[in-house]
Amino acid sequence: MLRLTLHFSALLAALVLFADGVSAQPRPPRDVGDQPGLVPNEVDEELPPELKRQMVLYRTNEAPGTIIVHTSERFLYLIQPGGRALRYGIGVGRDGFQWQGMQKITRKMEWPDWTPPPEMIERQPYLPRWMAGGAGNPLGARAMYLGATVYRIHGTNLPQTIGSAVSSGCFRLVNPDVVDLYDRIPVGTKVIVRQQPEL
Amino acid sequence: MGRLFGWNFRTGLMIGCALAIAIAAGFITYEKYDSNTLKRTLRRDAVYCGVSTGLPGFSSSDSNGNWSGFDVDFCRAIAAAIFDDPKKVKFVPLNAKERFTELSRRKVDVVARNSTWTMSRETEYALNFAGVSYYDGQGFMVPHARNITSALELDGSSVCVQSGTTTELNLGDYFRANNIKYEEKKFGKLEEVVSAYNSGQCNTLSADVSQLYALRLNLSKSGEHDILPDVISKEPLAPIVRQKDDDWYLIVKWTLYAMLNAEELGINSQNIDVALKSKKPDVMRFTGAEGAYGEQLNLSKDWALRIVKHVGNYGEVYDRNVGAGSKLGIPRGLNQLWTAGGIQYAPPIR
Repeated sequence: MLRLTLHFSALLAALVLFADGVSAQPRPPRDVGDQPGLVPNEVDEELPPELKRQMVLYRTNEAPGTIIVHTSERFLYLIQPGGRALRYGIGVGRDGFQWQGMQKITRKMEWPDWTPPPEMIERQPYLPRWMAGGAGNPLGARAMYLGATVYRIHGTNLPQTIGSAVSSGCFRLVNPDVVDLYDRIPVGTKVIVRQQPEL
Repeated sequence: MGRLFGWNFRTGLMIGCALAIAIAAGFITYEKYDSNTLKRTLRRDAVYCGVSTGLPGFSSSDSNGNWSGFDVDFCRAIAAAIFDDPKKVKFVPLNAKERFTELSRRKVDVVARNSTWTMSRETEYALNFAGVSYYDGQGFMVPHARNITSALELDGSSVCVQSGTTTELNLGDYFRANNIKYEEKKFGKLEEVVSAYNSGQCNTLSADVSQLYALRLNLSKSGEHDILPDVISKEPLAPIVRQKDDDWYLIVKWTLYAMLNAEELGINSQNIDVALKSKKPDVMRFTGAEGAYGEQLNLSKDWALRIVKHVGNYGEVYDRNVGAGSKLGIPRGLNQLWTAGGIQYAPPIR
């Protein structure tokens, strides 16, 4: 059985590591809390127009098929030929857990299982010890692994978190979008993560 | 004697005439040009800013006379740079006909009125366009059900367009150049174009992209229409000033560039305090911690930071008024920074 030990352990580790000095203006993390078991309905998954999947103009030297994530904008771009890109609305890491660089998609999973790490169970004791993949799973319909990191591009059972900074460094899309993206990209896809420059 | 007198008289007359002409010319020149805009602005304690009579996202005023919009924020940014107070702006609504003449006549000192920068406008009215604040251009809207993602897939479309406009000409040029067959449905008024599209008389609508997003809001089922990413014409919108007042021109131009540079450097209205502590040279030049860039504009050291503090960087202003944070929701597209998929590019502050 494939178990996804989620990135929450990494989140906690990062919390301890970077607790001070991440940002001069610490913003209390908007912890909406995970709600395993909650099954999103189609109305919730209907995003506001600006976050909907759409073709946009995008000039880049990166080859078509490359994924570029702009964390500060809350958008993920899948580069297309002819100076355009498919743009998806995403939820991104909280301030302080945002990262940047280049990775490759190393693995793809449909309806991934979820194993909350012990640290997380301690914080939210009501969480299940393990949860099979499915509509109520916080990882949503698909997961794409970024290199050897703990980060993923994944779906969600909380579509209303798209457009905000709540995950721990992962990029979350609504399930219909993550399925769409999953079907368009192979393992090996180059992923570039960009965020605002540091001051 | 007589000859000498005649010579003297004629000379005198000529000198007199020449003087009169010189004075008249000087007077006319004075009428047309002056280089006191900054002085006058400081005396009046307000930036006199020409805006549109009402265009959602760009400039509009509410029932209390509060102006808001992309162009409005640009004038507020100039006021922030000069006065450290974005409220010190007098907004003067101008229609399309009078916008350039009223600037020439000094009724306003800057025009930020979704105006396209063209050569003839600059030369005919003796104006300077101070840098492109918004790259607009002609685009297409299609029903989502057509499942089209590129203008090159529009073969066989029937296109609704306003007649007698450059939009109509651009449309013909683009489709001819790309060997796309189409049927044109022309209407005199933009409202007629929209209602024809809304009622299904055509399956494509062509207008400027910023306009398409505004028009889409009023369609019966706005969520069922896509605006294609293609831009087929150049409509660079730019703030305008009079020629021959370079000090003022520089202030207006560098206000725009400061907003763009701020976004590129990662300085926004929320992290001013962090920026002030930065040790990065380009951030320090921006905040005024290093160099005398503000003084060289006849402004204060922190001129650029004032803009960001009161109004925000380019991206914040874009998002709030026309972008993802607004009702219009226009993607950044060409107006994204050159480092992030677009062509917005400001010369550096150094």
